[in-house]
Amino acid sequence: MKDFARRMVGIDRRIIFLLITAAILLPMLKPFGLPIKVSPEVKAVYDYIEAMPERSVFLLSFDFDPSSKPELEPQAVALLRHAFRKNLRVIGMTHWLTGTGLADGVFSAVAAETGKERGKDYAFLGWSPGGGALIISMGQDLYKAFPSDYSKTPTQGMPVLEGVRNLRDVNYMVSLAAGGSGIEMWYVFGKDKYRFEMAGGSTGVIAPGLYPFLRSGQINGLIGGLQGAAEYETLIGQKGMATAGMDAQSAAHFVIIALVLLCNVFYFMLRGEQGRPR
Amino acid sequence: MIPAALLLLLFWGGTAVAAPPLLSPPEGFRVLDTPNDAGKSLSLVWKASPSDSKNRLVQVWAAESPQAAFNKVAEFPSNTRYVKPGDFPWWAQPAGKGDHYVKLSSSQAFPIENGKRYTVKLLMREGGREAWSDVAGGTAAPNYFNTAQINNLVFVLAFTGVLLGSIAAARRNPHVPLRRIAGLDAVEEAIGRSTEMGRPILYLTGAGDMSEVPTIAATVILGEVAKKVAHYDTTLKVPHRDPIVMAVCQEIVKEAYVEAGRPDAYKDESNFFITGDQFSYTAAVDGIMLREKPAANFFMGSYFAESLLLTETGASTGAIQIAGTDSDHQLPFFVTTCDYTLIGEELYAASAYLSREPVLVGTLRGQDFGKAFIMGVLVLGTALATVGVVADVDGVNYVLDLFKDFK
Amino acid sequence: MIFLKRQLPLAITFVMGIAFTFQYYIPHPVSEDAITNVSKWMQIISGFALFLGLASLFHVHAVKITRQVPGWGFSLALYVAMIGTIVIGFWSHGETKVDGGQTAFGWLYDYTMVPLQGTMFSILAFFIASAAYRAFRARSREASVLLVAAVVVMMGRVPLGQFLLPWTWDVTQWLLNVLNSAVRRAILIGVSMGAVALSLKIILGIERSYLGGGRDQ
Repeated sequence: MKDFARRMVGIDRRIIFLLITAAILLPMLKPFGLPIKVSPEVKAVYDYIEAMPERSVFLLSFDFDPSSKPELEPQAVALLRHAFRKNLRVIGMTHWLTGTGLADGVFSAVAAETGKERGKDYAFLGWSPGGGALIISMGQDLYKAFPSDYSKTPTQGMPVLEGVRNLRDVNYMVSLAAGGSGIEMWYVFGKDKYRFEMAGGSTGVIAPGLYPFLRSGQINGLIGGLQGAAEYETLIGQKGMATAGMDAQSAAHFVIIALVLLCNVFYFMLRGEQGRPR
Repeated sequence: MIPAALLLLLFWGGTAVAAPPLLSPPEGFRVLDTPNDAGKSLSLVWKASPSDSKNRLVQVWAAESPQAAFNKVAEFPSNTRYVKPGDFPWWAQPAGKGDHYVKLSSSQAFPIENGKRYTVKLLMREGGREAWSDVAGGTAAPNYFNTAQINNLVFVLAFTGVLLGSIAAARRNPHVPLRRIAGLDAVEEAIGRSTEMGRPILYLTGAGDMSEVPTIAATVILGEVAKKVAHYDTTLKVPHRDPIVMAVCQEIVKEAYVEAGRPDAYKDESNFFITGDQFSYTAAVDGIMLREKPAANFFMGSYFAESLLLTETGASTGAIQIAGTDSDHQLPFFVTTCDYTLIGEELYAASAYLSREPVLVGTLRGQDFGKAFIMGVLVLGTALATVGVVADVDGVNYVLDLFKDFK
Repeated sequence: MIFLKRQLPLAITFVMGIAFTFQYYIPHPVSEDAITNVSKWMQIISGFALFLGLASLFHVHAVKITRQVPGWGFSLALYVAMIGTIVIGFWSHGETKVDGGQTAFGWLYDYTMVPLQGTMFSILAFFIASAAYRAFRARSREASVLLVAAVVVMMGRVPLGQFLLPWTWDVTQWLLNVLNSAVRRAILIGVSMGAVALSLKIILGIERSYLGGGRDQ
């Protein structure tokens, strides 16, 4: 029995990889569609957008690249659907060069679905270098920071930007972040200086680290990972990629829990033997 | 005829008695330059009234000069826009607590220039009744110092003083006891092991650029590690995500080899650039780990989602792994997969710990004083805020404001 | 030489460090312009520094190919991929789409960059599982608490867990909002104090090993 336990503790990690693959694939092939609960931090973002008057200015910063697409694209889609439905003026941009094409694609797709026009209802400014410096520059003069949008149209005179001179004229902003150059940077260089309300959306990995900012009111809401995206989809009543992915995530979590518990059983069986396996 | 006249009199008199009282105009209306700002904005201040309500509207009318026509620039219910506790510190309040305060910023509809005098008046409206305030004037100007942040400046100066004092004390008495940091004690062991096994040492400086403090800390530790590597004559590999960090590290490693008396052993290509892209870099470093099987991996600096991909691959090759990061969100991954982890500020303390120089060790003591002060403020602030809420005492705000961050 | 490598950089660090510490307290547009201009210089320097990086990359891999060290094929693949991407990028004028149609550069982005990056990130799921299996053990009382908390949060964050054990949702919310926030704040305060102290040491020239060499005060 102890031999078995020893073998199991040192199991080839490829077997674990196989179990995770099965846990993710099977629910995707045969979803079980459980209801999704909405957390107060996601509801806060929804409520704020819901309460914004028509044609208010909403800035959405795609601070991620294709690697975080599975978690953050559903968040972006849900937020854009909501913003366009509320008839807000949406300004999009990205701090991640490699995320530019992805962000433009999301904007075009959701705008086409909701019948919104580039330049009139939304603008995608694209990427510009600088990170925090770019935010400061936008805080002073948006048109100097982005003289033209992603499709090379001059930003000056764009109907969607009417009355918008700098970040002080933004009513709400959400940074969808996969790491650095994201929520904290937008808070430090943006909200803190130019006084607009903001929220964050992040990958599941960094979400717990953002709770202190949420509790202190530095961000008014937080959409964390695929679960957060699924919650937002539930709120807007339009299920999408995130809701579909939650079954797979449920199964993967359960496989990990089972593995951890099993490993502890084997560990306790071996306890007392010389040398505890690392 | 007389009864008719009496009726008429009664009718008019009756109307006069039934008419609601006239609206009282806003009192104490002033226009001032918005304090502590970059200019191009005016602040409007007036006294609150007990009859403020959501049905009574306030309109702001402004003119570019006393002779110019007034334009309506804002409208809101009269029971909004009060000065609330926490809006301004008590030493830089443009209006009294409970007064009305409205910031009028330059806009396309009403541009405000610095140095030009504008006139403003308020119109109070409720139902069909109206009342105008006095006309007041003000001139916008940019400010050279944000007085609301004076508490912040005082703390910075005080902390600098404490730090310099601690350094001076450490110079006089260099025997400052230091808590053991196991991760740093293991540096020597890791380098020795690499030498014995004849395998390289891999050192990563994280995801940040040279303007980020954790990256600077990582480069400082690299200098100490490189000295030991030079001494043991082991191979050092430092793949980079940022070209400037690479250039700095080349210089640091070169100097370390010179200091260790082994300038001949230094190779410029021990520091090399891979890519700025997060996962391309991760894939490349994982490849190096799997192909060259370094005996020791150092992960210093700031990290994001790549942390586990790097450390788990490193663990699978059996390398000794030492991490040091202030990226609190990645700490669980480092703690799980590395042999030693420097948590948060330990990363910044590493250069003092490794070099044992009194000047650097002294700064650690200064830092501890700073932390003790913050802990004291946390306890005091929590107690005062609780007392303020429970006993409804406004006076506590005079103390609490001292520790708040105002913009 | 010592002036260029030591005194001048230290003087620049001191002057700029002090200037931009005070910049924080000055709301005047001149101060805002100063930080914007300095940020632009930094962007320009970073742009040029990329050439340094590229030179290093080309050099390291050229050496590997010419010496045919083990794995030199990877270096060749890197050359082909990099030069190919640059050529295609120029050919497509850096555009991923033109008149709604995808360019060759756009194709490269959508069908190589996106899946490759997605693959790297998705490996995390597997690595998290294997790391959790190896390391999440109730070795001590503290580790046991961590283990229980982790299991509860993993249950509470997914619909299946919320469905089977509804209480895990509330406990997860409490753990994330209260305990997690409190602990992270404590770490953040310590980190911030360390960062401020290190910044002061650098501005005042006390810590200078980042310039290379010892601390020759």
